[in-house]
Amino acid sequence: MEDDDCLTTLKILIIGESGVGKSSLLLRFTDDTFDPEQAATIGVDFKVKSLTVDGNKAKLAIWDTAGQERFRTLTPSYYRGAQGVILVYDDKREISRDQGLRFARKHSTLFIECSAKTRDGVQCAFEELVEKVCYCRLENRWKKYVLDRGMI
Amino acid sequence: MADDVEESEVFEITDFTAASEWERFVARLEQVIHDWKLTSVPRARPLQKGDLTNAQWSERSQEVNFANVRFLISEHRLKHGVEEKLTLEQEENEEKADTLPQALEDMMSSENDFPPRAHCLCRWYGLRHFVVLIPAANSDAVLSESKCNLLLSSLTIAVNNTSCSVPIFAQIQQKWRRMYTGICEIPRLRTNFDMVHLNDTHQYNHLEGLLNVFKSKIASQVSDRGTVTVAVRFTYVLNDWTQYSWPLQFPDPIGTLYLSATWPSLTEDMVVDNDVYSDLEALQAPLWSVGSTCSNMQGLLGDYLISLLKLCHNTDTLDQLLGKMAFEEEDEEQTEQITHALQKLTDPGRVQFPGISSVVHSARSKIRSRQRPVDPPFSSDLLNDVLQYLFPDASVLPESSSSDLLRQQSLDSQPERYRHFKAAPRDCLTYKLTVAMCVLNSAHGGLKAVAYLWHEFVLEMRYRWENKYKLPGISGTAPNMACCLVHQKLQMLNCCIARKKAREERQSLKEADRNISTTSFASAEDADTISNVQPDRKGAGKEGEPRGSESEDEFYECEMENEADPEDDAAIQESEEISKPEGRLKVCGELKLLNSDEDLYIPVTQDPAPMTEDMLEEHAEVLAKLGTTSEGAELRAKMQSACLLSDMGAFKAANPGCSLEDFVRWYSPRDWVKGEEEEKEEKEDETTDGRKPSQGHLSPRMQLPGNMWMEVWSQSKPMPAHRQKRLFDDTKEAEKVLHFLAALKPSEVITNLLPVLIQAALERLEEAGGESIPSLQPHFGQLVNTASRLTRTPVQDVKKYEEIVRQISMAELLIAKHQSLMAKFLPNGCNGETEQVKDMEEFVCDLQNQPEVPVKDGPRGHIGGTIHKLFVSAQRAANMVEEFEKLEEDTSETVSSIPDFPAAAGREFILRTTVSRPAPYSRPSPQRMFCVLMDNELRLAGAFSQDTSFQ
Repeated sequence: MEDDDCLTTLKILIIGESGVGKSSLLLRFTDDTFDPEQAATIGVDFKVKSLTVDGNKAKLAIWDTAGQERFRTLTPSYYRGAQGVILVYDDKREISRDQGLRFARKHSTLFIECSAKTRDGVQCAFEELVEKVCYCRLENRWKKYVLDRGMI
Repeated sequence: MADDVEESEVFEITDFTAASEWERFVARLEQVIHDWKLTSVPRARPLQKGDLTNAQWSERSQEVNFANVRFLISEHRLKHGVEEKLTLEQEENEEKADTLPQALEDMMSSENDFPPRAHCLCRWYGLRHFVVLIPAANSDAVLSESKCNLLLSSLTIAVNNTSCSVPIFAQIQQKWRRMYTGICEIPRLRTNFDMVHLNDTHQYNHLEGLLNVFKSKIASQVSDRGTVTVAVRFTYVLNDWTQYSWPLQFPDPIGTLYLSATWPSLTEDMVVDNDVYSDLEALQAPLWSVGSTCSNMQGLLGDYLISLLKLCHNTDTLDQLLGKMAFEEEDEEQTEQITHALQKLTDPGRVQFPGISSVVHSARSKIRSRQRPVDPPFSSDLLNDVLQYLFPDASVLPESSSSDLLRQQSLDSQPERYRHFKAAPRDCLTYKLTVAMCVLNSAHGGLKAVAYLWHEFVLEMRYRWENKYKLPGISGTAPNMACCLVHQKLQMLNCCIARKKAREERQSLKEADRNISTTSFASAEDADTISNVQPDRKGAGKEGEPRGSESEDEFYECEMENEADPEDDAAIQESEEISKPEGRLKVCGELKLLNSDEDLYIPVTQDPAPMTEDMLEEHAEVLAKLGTTSEGAELRAKMQSACLLSDMGAFKAANPGCSLEDFVRWYSPRDWVKGEEEEKEEKEDETTDGRKPSQGHLSPRMQLPGNMWMEVWSQSKPMPAHRQKRLFDDTKEAEKVLHFLAALKPSEVITNLLPVLIQAALERLEEAGGESIPSLQPHFGQLVNTASRLTRTPVQDVKKYEEIVRQISMAELLIAKHQSLMAKFLPNGCNGETEQVKDMEEFVCDLQNQPEVPVKDGPRGHIGGTIHKLFVSAQRAANMVEEFEKLEEDTSETVSSIPDFPAAAGREFILRTTVSRPAPYSRPSPQRMFCVLMDNELRLAGAFSQDTSFQ
């Protein structure tokens, strides 16, 4: 039995337009493989992977969603309780890198470029996200602490 | 410190064998004095106004024994100013022999006379640093005079041996009498602290008498050298508020108002106060200050909340609470329901005329309501009122009006501040239910009443489901997971009711159609679906529905019609291409079907199944449990393909002759790789590179052999959404909700509704102006935040709610107190001169936060005037002056025989002087006596000093 209790489980969502490579991204991260013939996801899919960030082991429960508009009326119910979201777009299609950057800045998110095909940046993207999530959790705790003590 | 301890230990050991109990006691006292370093207390700056009340006090205690009697010795010390370094000059001054010890200096300082909040010794003697020895147990009280003397002697010896200059007191007599004797010694000067406590005051009932006592005590051999200065405070009490209406049901939180009239510095010859005459009139006093006490009762809101919260610990079920009758009836109701459900399936006649069943049921329900299984624990009038409050539509059933719609819209929005409460929107059914339970519990029968209401509520839910009456005050949207679970369940039930209603309406419409055209020709519309009913049902049952087979028996009734006359079944097998399109929503842009010139239509599709959070969790868990293998993923996709299957079927029905390519162009346009023709049409500037224009094709992933999309496409049969197997089985879901509700214990209901309760309470506080009260204002937002966080915790922790409720009660009291004071001091609201109103508001606020508030301009000021009036009217009420007389007096200005103020409830005097004692040639030393006269009680606390070298 591993020391399961020191693991935090984080729920991560992958969303984005259909066919931009959400499932490929996930597959690259979890299984380090790339399938050019990755089937279109139906509803939501689910994968698990452990990750060590800053010496802390985190278990990621990653929910991969279908991008079709019709499915998007169903999948938001799975958003509940998610600690991190990856919004995937395909920079070879409608959205340019600049637009992506602008969006990230506007919503104060991380912006990471990666390729499921070449593996570039995939691991890094997930690690960065997890690090951020852990940091925000700490920060919230700090905020709560500050609020409770009436410091602001 | 270490040295000190060692020394004294050595000393003690040497002396130990010979020591008597008494000597050991004295030695122990000395040790404490050394330990606490009372022998060399640095001198602090002189006391400033308010120091004794406002600054912090530090306190430490230790136990000492005299034989087997336990004493507690404690040091009380004002922290403020002690740390401040003295200037060189001051230090030099200290060197001078005639400098008074700090204690005596403090005694003579009049800056802190009558501190409103302080230790009694501090109040009586004006001391900032002293040590008290008190018997640890009440039974150990030092009563006999000889024992008192022995105790005082012990102190004197200890003080002398250690040259401690801090005054030390010992408590004597019964504890409640607060009698102390004490001593303060410096070289050449000794101060004795003595006390008199009498229950008879007549001789000393005025300043003159007290001055005589004082003088006779100090001036044994001396004639009056130096005049006596006098500080006087008279305190008047107002606690009759009967003439002020207090609208709330609980007692006025302001118990007593204290007015203190103070003459801070008089000399004995400036003022006359004797048996027959007194200058000391409240209205003449230069200073006024006011304090108030709050009766420490529970507010109504707090009371209600606490008693409802208590029910959370109960474990009784509904049946246990309401007696056997209740659940027999329930059982009967349920079995009836089951047979009804079975009949519905087996008896086509019944299915075709659903109207009858609801008519029967509505009648049954009426009978039920007349013959209640258990008598309600409160009057049936009240029950009707409560039901009317919860279900205001009951009287105007069955149809909801447009105003209802408007109301429903507002039901979705929470006020900004409560947006993150996981509760329920204000004034929705859940909210009202919570409030009703809270009121019933406190005012109409406790847990039983709550249980009964819940029982009624659940019955009503079933009645409404069966009769398709939507729930009032519950928005018609899918369950909102930002709300509490019970609210989600009610939303779910409402969704079920809405769908059932829509379904049955469609059904009856169809029937009407059918009746018109029965004999002429079996409408093609109906006929074309028949062919595929059977295979479709099987396919969907196996793969489509995640929750499997139990839902297989629920179909849209029209399918059963088809089953009822299956002879048409074989007729139209291969008619997809020629069949009439059905279930079209609208055209899909400019798109045309690939194989014909027909427009591509978006079909009407089934709405996604609403889910409550517990359903969702369960569902997500099932999906997650399938694991991360590719088989698991495939199974997961299959489980979720019901919607795709349904949409494909609807698409096929709306677009006869369509292909998967057409479907993908609508459903997942990015999986359609446009042909160059198409692109060219859209973007004219792009060249075709001279290649042969192509048709466009599915994306590679859609072309994979055996992929789910293709598979599902091949399984799907053209069928408009309304004839398909329901993706959402409203009957099953409604039954699940009803079961969930019926299975809850009353305590669980309340626990579930706690977030709503807290929100309602906070909103009530806000309504009552909680935020406009300065003393509450900074904490209120914090209280809301804490509560908000609490409502979102996954498990409701009743303990934490108890804490929140405690804070809400406190806030309520503050509000009540504020309102009460405002009503008294600003009876006309905030009208009138703004400056004065502002002053008054400030004064009222201070009154709540401070033990004593000075009255601006004393009796001559505006606030003073109001206070004066308060006392005058209370005096009149007390003396039964009739209303008309009062009016007369007001106009004619006749002098009333009734004094404006009642007799002072407490009269305090501080007499001070400096004289040479005991001999005329002795060094002049400070003398002080504090006197308080109350009812039949007199206390004199004297501090009399004398020279110990020139006697």
